[in-house]
Amino acid sequence: MSRVALKCPNCGSSNVVEDDLYAQSQSVCVDCGSVVSEGFLANDPVGEVYYISSIAHNSSLPAGLQRVRALCRVLRVNSEIEKLSQTYFEQAYNHKSFINVSLTKKEALAGSCVLISCRMHDWPVTVGTIAYLIDTDSGAVGAVYQETLNTLNICIPTLRFTLDENPFKLAKELTKRALALVELAADSWIVTGRRPVPIMIAATYLSWQSLQPTKLRLKMTLDKFCQMTKVDKNRPAMKRVTEIKEMLYIQQCDAKNKKTMRTKTAELKTSSKTGSSVLETERANNGACDEPNWGKRLLFAPPCVVNPKKRKRAPSNQINVTGDEEISDSEIDSYIRTHQEVREIAMTQKLLCQESDNL
Amino acid sequence: MVELSGTTPKCNHSGLNAHCFTLGSIEIICAAGELLVVHIRTDVHLARVDLHDASSGLPGTSGQTPQLFHSQAVTGTTTTALPGNTPLYNTPLTPMTPITPATPASESSGIVPQLQNIVSTVNLGCKLDLKTIALRARNAEYNPKRFAAVIMRIREPRTTALIFSSGKMVCTGAKSEEQSRLAARKYARVVQKLGFPAKFLDFKIQNMVGSCDVKFPIRLEGLVLTHQQFSSYEPELFPGLIYRMIKPRIVLLIFVSGKVVLTGAKVRAEIYEAFENIYPILKGFRKTT
Repeated sequence: MSRVALKCPNCGSSNVVEDDLYAQSQSVCVDCGSVVSEGFLANDPVGEVYYISSIAHNSSLPAGLQRVRALCRVLRVNSEIEKLSQTYFEQAYNHKSFINVSLTKKEALAGSCVLISCRMHDWPVTVGTIAYLIDTDSGAVGAVYQETLNTLNICIPTLRFTLDENPFKLAKELTKRALALVELAADSWIVTGRRPVPIMIAATYLSWQSLQPTKLRLKMTLDKFCQMTKVDKNRPAMKRVTEIKEMLYIQQCDAKNKKTMRTKTAELKTSSKTGSSVLETERANNGACDEPNWGKRLLFAPPCVVNPKKRKRAPSNQINVTGDEEISDSEIDSYIRTHQEVREIAMTQKLLCQESDNL
Repeated sequence: MVELSGTTPKCNHSGLNAHCFTLGSIEIICAAGELLVVHIRTDVHLARVDLHDASSGLPGTSGQTPQLFHSQAVTGTTTTALPGNTPLYNTPLTPMTPITPATPASESSGIVPQLQNIVSTVNLGCKLDLKTIALRARNAEYNPKRFAAVIMRIREPRTTALIFSSGKMVCTGAKSEEQSRLAARKYARVVQKLGFPAKFLDFKIQNMVGSCDVKFPIRLEGLVLTHQQFSSYEPELFPGLIYRMIKPRIVLLIFVSGKVVLTGAKVRAEIYEAFENIYPILKGFRKTT
């Protein structure tokens, strides 16, 4: 972002910079954040007025670096991350896999470099956020991200699940409770393989309800909660809420059962006959996972195992062939049209062509 | 049973009324662990026997070269018949160790990955007119604006082929190497019947995909921490962990449910080897609660 010789009408500061991140360039006051001017109107030598589009869509290296810097400023990352992302961008830009790609891909590359540097410094940023900032699909960003990792041969540490990048602005207590809920969810297989944002939303919603379980809070639906907190609606978040509630219920039941089991096992241990049966039931609970729905045997299992999607599988033809069998003529003939069929199809195609020409 | 022990001078065989001995080679073929009776057939031509004299020779031979049949039981051998086995006439009979050692149960997983898809290519060796093929074949679709190849399907084995105008063809969907080859041959036959001089050159399996279930949940976050150099786990992008094994060069998709998909193999053995390599690693992340 370059400095512009303007004064901010709001606070009078002369610390006004040009922000090239968005579709049209904006002059923004650094001190108070107000937009001083948007877009530019310019006079060409003939006298016509036209609108200069933002240089953010320029495909050169300096423009790309400016984009990287703009993204870093929006995310408010520290200078180390900003420097690292610029280094990565320079390295990747000149690599053969990114030298002649489309503008969208170059923008995605800028976003990926910022994402990688954030990950290296354990700064929580999701792919979704980057995709939103550069206005592309998160799948596209993800693909470029993977490609960049391979090209630059980077090995990133795993992102620890924290609530720093939570869409909500949370108080300390709420953060603690939400974090504890997320840890519980992770232990009971709700988190593995799932997208993090819906889990964060669900955990925050449930901890908010549990901190002050008034009628008003308990009656509020997740959608209304998101509306109230100005967070985008998220359909998977509702499913996560249900799963976390189920998990808490099972834990509660299990705790109650364990208390009764403890007293029962104490009684059983006095009689030597039933000792072996206790061992057997324990073994049955922990060991046998050979049946088709082994998930139902365990106390907690990944939801995709407990409720598997019933797929109608075509009967697997275990035909033993050698690959060199005789191929019957009749079978091959069944795949070839008769002369009459060919004539009819050719005629129909002609008629269709004529109709489309007439139209 | 006649015992042949050591050589005896010709003169002692005067009782046989013959004049020479010639021994042919013997071949011992044994099956594993079997006690066999081996017939050693030798041609004996005894001295002072005029082969053209019909009256000489052993009774019952009627003028043919006298033959001695010797039976000897071969004990204690557990060798399997190897192809191209040379006759063991000159070597002493020694007991041999079994060729296939038993795999200890603790080492093998007991789970065999099932092949789900085979991709193969073949060169039909001639230029093809895709419009003609699309017009005259019932099971073909051709949309040049979308894709520059004819998509043909057959019912048995249930496969799909992409046939290009250069004469090259890709066959997908088969569940075994032999099925893929048979399917490719059927497609080539269809193209042949449509009037093109199709051949069947350079058939090659390009990719094999297998899948299996270890039947326990897997902590993907733990696996990516310990095997960082090989794993890529981005739950925002894909729910499974992508494990790129170096030896054999196979890519595995590992899911939290315990299901594993193996791909990138050129031969079946690579899939099996890759799974046997990953199974002990996955067992390390097994959690029953």
